[in-house]
Amino acid sequence: MEFMALVYDDPSGWDALSQAEQEAGYEMYMAVARDATAAGALVDGGALARTAAATSVRVRNGDALVTDGPYAEVKESLGGYYLFSCDSLEEAIAWAARIPSASHGGAVEVRPIRVDEEIVA
Amino acid sequence: MKYALLVYTDQSSWQALSDVESARQRAEAMPGWNRLFEEIGKADPNVVSRELASASAAQVVRVVDGKTVVTDGPFAETKEVLGGVLVAELPDLDEAIRLAALVPAAEYGTLEIRPLSNR
Repeated sequence: MEFMALVYDDPSGWDALSQAEQEAGYEMYMAVARDATAAGALVDGGALARTAAATSVRVRNGDALVTDGPYAEVKESLGGYYLFSCDSLEEAIAWAARIPSASHGGAVEVRPIRVDEEIVA
Repeated sequence: MKYALLVYTDQSSWQALSDVESARQRAEAMPGWNRLFEEIGKADPNVVSRELASASAAQVVRVVDGKTVVTDGPFAETKEVLGGVLVAELPDLDEAIRLAALVPAAEYGTLEIRPLSNR
C-alpha cells in the first residue's frame, strides 16, 4: 500500500534558524528519506518552494484563471511530501513520526493512496 | 525544474453522491484525465501522480515529548482539500499552467502549482 505523508509547518520557524541549524535540520529530513529508501519504503518525495512562489489555476466556463499565490493563505503550509510504500498505516505513521516537522511545531498528515480498481466500475 | 501540481477540491459534494453516481461521474471524467496523463507523460515520462484517499481518512501525526500522537485529520480545515498530487519535470511555469488547466478538477476546484525546492 502507498501512503502520502504531507509535511505541514510554519516556514518562519525555519527562517529563524542559523545556517548551521538549517543544514543540520535539512540533514534530518534527508536521513528519513535515506532510511526509508534503504528499507524499500520510499517511492518519491520532495520539498516544495515557499507558497510565495505558488501559482493557482482554475478553469471556469472554459477559461483558465491564473493567479499568483497559494490556494489558501495559512500559517502552516504544505512544505513537502514523502510517498511511502508500507504494509500498514501503522508503519506509515512510524515513518511520518520521524519527519522533523512532526516534532518541531508542525504536523505530518498521512493519507492512503487511492487505487485504480475503484475507478474501473 | 520539477513542479508539483496540487489538486484541491471540495469533497463534501462528492461524498454526498451514491456509489453508482460517483462511479458514473468518475467514468465521465476519465477521458479528460487520460488526456492530461498523455500530455504530462510527454513532458515527463517519469511523472508521479497519485490520488489521495478522501480527507476523512487522513491521520495527523505529531510527536510531543518523544511520544507519537495521532489524531483524525485533515490537517488544514479548508473547504477545498488536497485530493491529488502530480509531480513532473517541466520546462517552465507556462507549461505547468497549461497542464494544470487540463486537469479535469480545475473546472470545479483549484490547481496550485509549486516548484520543488532545489535542495
